[in-house]
Order: sequence, then structure tokens, then C-alpha cells
Amino acid sequence: MKTITIDPITRLEGHGKISIFLDNQGDVANAYLQIPELRGFERFAQGRRAEDMPQITSRICGVCPVAHHFASTKALDAAFNVEPTQAAKKLRELMYCGYYIYDHILHFYYLGGPDFVVGPDAPPAQRNVLGVIEKAGVEIGKEVIKHRAYGQKITGILGGKATHPVCGLPGGVSKGLNADEVKDIETMTKSCVEFAQFSLKLFDDIVLKNKDYVDLILSDPYTLKTYNMGLVDDNNKVNFYDGKIRVTDQKGREHKKFDGKDYFKNIREHVEEWSYIKFPYLKDIGWKGFTDGKDSGIYRVGPLGRLNAAEGMATPLADKEYKRFYETLGGKSVNSTLAFHWARLIELLYATERAMELIQDSEITSQNIRNPVGEPGEGIGVVEAARGTLIHHYKLDKKGLIDKANLIVATTNNAGAINMSVADAAKGIIKKGKVNDGLLNMVEMAFRAYDPCFACATHTLPGGLPLEVNIYDANKQLYKKLRHNL
Amino acid sequence: MKTIIVGIGNPILCDDGVGIHVAQQLKHHITDPQVTIDEAFTGGMNLLDLLIGYERAILIDAVKTQDAKKGEVKRFSLQDMSSVHSCNPHDVSLLQALQLAENIGEKNIPRDITIIGILMKETPCEFGETLSSEIAEAVPKAVEMALTELDKWNLNT
Repeated sequence: MKTITIDPITRLEGHGKISIFLDNQGDVANAYLQIPELRGFERFAQGRRAEDMPQITSRICGVCPVAHHFASTKALDAAFNVEPTQAAKKLRELMYCGYYIYDHILHFYYLGGPDFVVGPDAPPAQRNVLGVIEKAGVEIGKEVIKHRAYGQKITGILGGKATHPVCGLPGGVSKGLNADEVKDIETMTKSCVEFAQFSLKLFDDIVLKNKDYVDLILSDPYTLKTYNMGLVDDNNKVNFYDGKIRVTDQKGREHKKFDGKDYFKNIREHVEEWSYIKFPYLKDIGWKGFTDGKDSGIYRVGPLGRLNAAEGMATPLADKEYKRFYETLGGKSVNSTLAFHWARLIELLYATERAMELIQDSEITSQNIRNPVGEPGEGIGVVEAARGTLIHHYKLDKKGLIDKANLIVATTNNAGAINMSVADAAKGIIKKGKVNDGLLNMVEMAFRAYDPCFACATHTLPGGLPLEVNIYDANKQLYKKLRHNL
Repeated sequence: MKTIIVGIGNPILCDDGVGIHVAQQLKHHITDPQVTIDEAFTGGMNLLDLLIGYERAILIDAVKTQDAKKGEVKRFSLQDMSSVHSCNPHDVSLLQALQLAENIGEKNIPRDITIIGILMKETPCEFGETLSSEIAEAVPKAVEMALTELDKWNLNT
């Protein structure tokens, strides 16, 4: 294969740009997904009061503010050497369940789901949430909107504000719950449990009972045999808010289990000249390029990564679904990228059941919600953002100001795998220079499954986040350009 | 006439946060109790949630466009924009969100939405809280434009 160099200026342009390079036969030689990285965070954070970080970092990304808020709060717990009270931990986790409820509903029904519910071959104009409602019916549309809003409300009651929480403090939270709030949350949560069950049934009826879809899920271009990573509790069950980081191999066997604070001892980052995003990999396995299998240190995070990295779900209904997931898709690990969608719904059910357990916990109305902080030092906080493992690492000076700050965001953990999935999808569909019209959608489906967040807080009107695919021939001349707003 | 003005932007992403700066300035100029001023950080469904219950809305945001002078302030109607994405990759566009609300029979969406855009060629990829000089100069112009809009509707007179 010829060496390909990409003009560094092109690296700066646009979001979600995919470059596909063809060989002399017109088949895909290589494909790259380029994602812009927001820069200068460390400098921006330096000298700020550490307690302000949960608020500031929740604004880094419009996609997962609650995840940043709690990764930051947990890093502060560690940096100030304080263990939150039991009640505070429960309140945080309950709020975190609210975030999962709205985030996973949004992704399934609005973003990823249209590929299945409306169909992968449907024209782009129909492949969106409006198409889903058209197919599923207005009544279901109302339920989708209602339950997404419930997730937001639960988060809002606990966090002070729905999108940008203000409740996390080192050692606890700033606000407890009163009896009325408990009643409200319980009513909403009960409804959410039912809605999550309904959503799984919908997935069953529309996707799993359709052989074409199941074949697509299990097809080669959408299969990647990587390691998997996620937080687990003491029983190796999936946990979003706390626990140890567990890594499993391609057959679902435990490869490593370590504390969040040891993340940097276990993970290294590979640098490619064409990308601002670095590619994390397992240090003991090593970087072997963009390839899967047991000798490559690339791993996956997010719903599928978490299910594969665990041995079950900690709530009964979700655990039943977990077992059915592996029975249906051929045992551990499930390496089908499109199975992310199903995994996401199982997690939605878990989030609702776990929220129910927490809101019915007698300690949830306790006002013992904060422990006093110790001397400032260094701390690492790890949570599972909806789209994967998120890490905040701070060093504080003696006055409690930020001296150093480093973040590893979820999509970065998936960067190597997303790049490979995009390349595989392109390889599956481009043959002898023939670019099928379905290319854009097949490629989009590959990376939409990961629910990526392109470190993107920009929401600038009107351009959206276009996906641009440039296809180059063997002479590196632009051969075809495709564009679509995600 | 219940009206909402929403400044949209990320306050820690330099010029991207210009909508927030404008909204904060507007608070000093608006006394009419029928007018609510709010700030939004994300678009799509979250933005829709804010708009429900109001009859009119003015959205103020950075607009990325190749053929404009940086800092120019322009008024758009919703129809001018093929995709008011007000984006992040994990959400739908505002147009889709509004359409969705209409399709399921939501009655309380604003029937009149005006967009005040502060134009720029590139959106920043660097963290910071200050605006560039061209964009800072656009803030009073955008404030003025929002007040003129309210005038047209006989609000805040």
C-alpha cells in the first residue's frame, strides 16, 4: 500500500470527517475518521478553585454534562481525601440513573433507532425520529417524549438544574430530598420501568424478529473482536457510578481489574499524525495498529463494552435481559457493533430499576449528605458516561486551586474501535471503485452505534454536525464527496 | 404575549458563547414581565423544552457561515435555515424537535420564532471565557436587534 499523508490543514476542518483511500483495484485501502479535539483545557483549568470544577466541566460537552459533573466531583472527593456519606452516594447515583434514562432514550428513539425502526434502506429524510413516530404511532411518540422528560426531571430535582447540575461537592451533595420530591420521583420512575420494558419489546418485535436485521447485526463489516472495558460492582455487575474498572477479552474472560486511580498505569495513548484524538490501548497488550484480536490492545467502552466487561446486571429484570442478550447473540463476548443498541436498552431498564431501588431506600431522605473535606492533594474520578468510561484527574495546590487537570473522555476510549468500524463498513460496501448510495448510511450506522460525542460543545447554527466522506483514488485525487447532516 | 429570549452558547468556548453574553446584557434592558430571558447550552430537545409554553421566541446564537464578515449580526426566520441543528451529535435539530412536538399534538410551541445570528467563519476549538474583539463588538448590535424585535411585537415599550 502506498503511504498516505494528509495535509495538516485539512485536519482542522469540520467535524466527523471521514477520508477513504482506494487502491489500484478501486477497493478500500484505508479509512480514517477525523474528530476535532477541543484544546487548552489544562491551561483553562489552572489556578481555578477546585470546587468550581464540577460546574465548569459540566459545560465541556453538551452531550454528557451530568457525567462530567460526577467524574469531577469524585475526583474532588479523592483530592480532598474525603469519603461521601452513604446518603450522598445514593443521591448521586439516583441522579445518575435519571441521566441514563433520558440519554439512552434520546439515543435509541431519536438517533440510533431510526436505522432499525424505519429501516437501514429508508431514504435519509425518513430515517429520523419523525419517521420512527410515523411508524410506531403518535401515542408511542408521546410516551417517548414523556419519559425522556421524566429522566430530565429526576436529574433536575436532584441536581438543581436539569442540564447543568450544581449539586456535587467534595464529600457529598448540596441538597437532599424531601417527602414530596421522593413521591414525584417514585411515580416517574415506576412509569420509566414500564417504558424501558416496552422499549425492549419494541426492539424484539421490530429488530430481533426480522431475520435481515439480525443478519446485519451479525455481519462481518459490523463485527470487531476487541477487548471490552467498564465499571463493575463487587459482584462484577455493571455499575454506572462507581466500582472497579474491569477489562475482559474477546471471549468474555477477565483480563484485568483495577481501581480507577490506576487507570494511567494500565492504559497508554497512541498518537497518529493525522488525528488530534489520541488512541488509548491496553498497556500490557500494546499498540498493534488498527486491528482487532487478542494481540491488539484496542478496547471498547459504552453499553456493549460494559455488558461484555461484566457478568450481569444488578437488578432482576435487566439481568434477565442480559442473559437473553448473550443467548441470542451467541455467548460471550458479543462483538457486533450494532448490538450496542440492544445493550443500551438493557442498560435503560437497569437504570430505571436501580432508580426504583434507590428512591425506595429509607436513607434517601437523610439530611446527612456531606462529610467535611481534608487537605487538598491529588485525585482521580471515574464514572461510566452513557457512552463509556470517563476519567477526571486533578492535582491541587495547598490552597485548593487546580495545579494540573487532565481528562480522558468516553469517545476517546472508543476512538480506535470507531475508526476500525468505519473502515470495515466502507470496505464492505466499496468494491472496484463502485460507491453505492447506501455508503453514507452504512458508515453512519457504524459509528452512530457508539453514540460518539466529538468533544463537541459547539451547537452553532445552522450547520449541524455534518458527516463528510471524501473518497480518494489510488493517486490520492478526490474521487467522490458525500455529505450528510447527522 | 408570552415571549422567551434564549441566548444559546457554551460560555467556556470563547466566541461560541456569544449568545449567552447577549442574553446577559439584555437582562439590563428588559422590564416587561411578559418577556423571559433564558440561557441554553444545548439545542434540540433541550431547547424545545425551554420554548414550550411561550407564544413567541427569539433565539440568539453564533452562526457559522463561510461567506460572511466575522461579527456581522443578522436576523433569520426559522424557515431561512434548512437545518436549524443547534447541534450536538447526540441530539436532533431544533426543526426536527419542533416538528416532533407538532406531530404529537403539542399545542404550546411558539408560533413565531426569530433567530438573531452572530456570524463567524469558524467556531472555536479552544477553551476560554473571553470573546474576540470582532465578536465582542457584535454583542451590543445583537442586543439592539433583539430590542427592535420586541418593539415590533409591542413588548417592552
